[in-house]
Amino acid sequence: MDHNTVASQKMAERYLLNELEPELRDEFEEHYFDCPECAADVHAGAVFVDESKFILGAEKNQPDVVPATDALATRAAPLARAGWMAWLRPSLAAPVFILLLLVIGYQSWHYRALKKTVSTPQVLASAVVNVNVRGSEPIAVSVPFGKAFGLTLNLPPDRSFSSYKLDLYSMQGQLEWSQTAAATGSDSLWLYVPASDRAPSILLVYGITAQGVSEDLGRYPIKLQNSRQ
Amino acid sequence: MEFHSFDRAYVERLRAGDYRTREHFRVYFAALIHVKLRSRLRSREDIEDVRQETFARFYIALREDKVCHPERLGSFVNSICNNVLREHYRQAGKHVLADDEMQDEPPSPLPDPLTTYSSRETQDKVRKVLDLLPERDRRLLREILLEERDKDEVCRDFGIDREYLRVLLHRAKKLFRSLYLRHNDAPEFTPV
Repeated sequence: MDHNTVASQKMAERYLLNELEPELRDEFEEHYFDCPECAADVHAGAVFVDESKFILGAEKNQPDVVPATDALATRAAPLARAGWMAWLRPSLAAPVFILLLLVIGYQSWHYRALKKTVSTPQVLASAVVNVNVRGSEPIAVSVPFGKAFGLTLNLPPDRSFSSYKLDLYSMQGQLEWSQTAAATGSDSLWLYVPASDRAPSILLVYGITAQGVSEDLGRYPIKLQNSRQ
Repeated sequence: MEFHSFDRAYVERLRAGDYRTREHFRVYFAALIHVKLRSRLRSREDIEDVRQETFARFYIALREDKVCHPERLGSFVNSICNNVLREHYRQAGKHVLADDEMQDEPPSPLPDPLTTYSSRETQDKVRKVLDLLPERDRRLLREILLEERDKDEVCRDFGIDREYLRVLLHRAKKLFRSLYLRHNDAPEFTPV
């Protein structure tokens, strides 16, 4: 499938509208994975389609909503006439103050709970990672979702790295954390993974030589197996 | 985002762990894989699983020097994704769907992770494009995209044909891209 065919037959639009037969769909996907222009076009189209669903859906639930620009003008006018003092009116100030009190209360509670957590000895679930094993199985840690756990990284004994770099990626593919640790001569590193509402998905380990050359030491998908705690 | 071309040098930088190259690779193909999978898999978790596994296998292949044609890196990633998807269906206990059955798989009902990559700015631009459309075309898009009514039925109701629908989407998409590129020198998704 060449780019001219894609453009002349509106492949991107047909793809986004789910109109392509499976074989043609697969062919088009193989094309746009290699064609930057079509990739950008398909991606933009997909973003447009998905955002449109969201916006049109919101409008559907508010049938009397006026177009955004008109609504802004309508709302802005009374506030503009009343000036900044309008924010101190009871109808606005009271809910805002209540919200602030709720936020302050929650943060105080959360801080006390956090302080208790970090100052109290705990037994953590943990797992061992043999860093010198290529393509290893996912790291399985038996721990309730949202709880902290530890990882012991057994370092390759026969390699001379001056430091190690650890990258932790989330389920969403975002880099959550990155740290470089100097090699101390110990054959292992211990990593504490704090509690989070997003389970980490993959740990990347790099060895860095004294010359600054980075060597990939493996990718370790992390699978949390919820325990009955 | 810096311009990259998929060539031997790009692959070598990936293998060497160059952070910017890896970030480009991740963002670029994460988005494409998501577009591919959103019409095939029901849940966001399944999409994330397949995407994660695709990347994991790619990096294994990269380490084992199995990327033989750097200029076709995209096809390589796509074929890995296809294999992972087939295995996903098997492991999930589903029979291997025939192609026509796969066509009928409903899109993911959960909020779309593409919004992870979009921002309020993107939403405003889409809204701007929608505001520029005649009310009839907005209703048409609502029926097709949101209500997911049968397209032939909608075309009959509106007195149009499928080509009108495609042209409408083409123009809207083109306008959205031009609005976005006008105000951003580095769109959140940059082709190579």
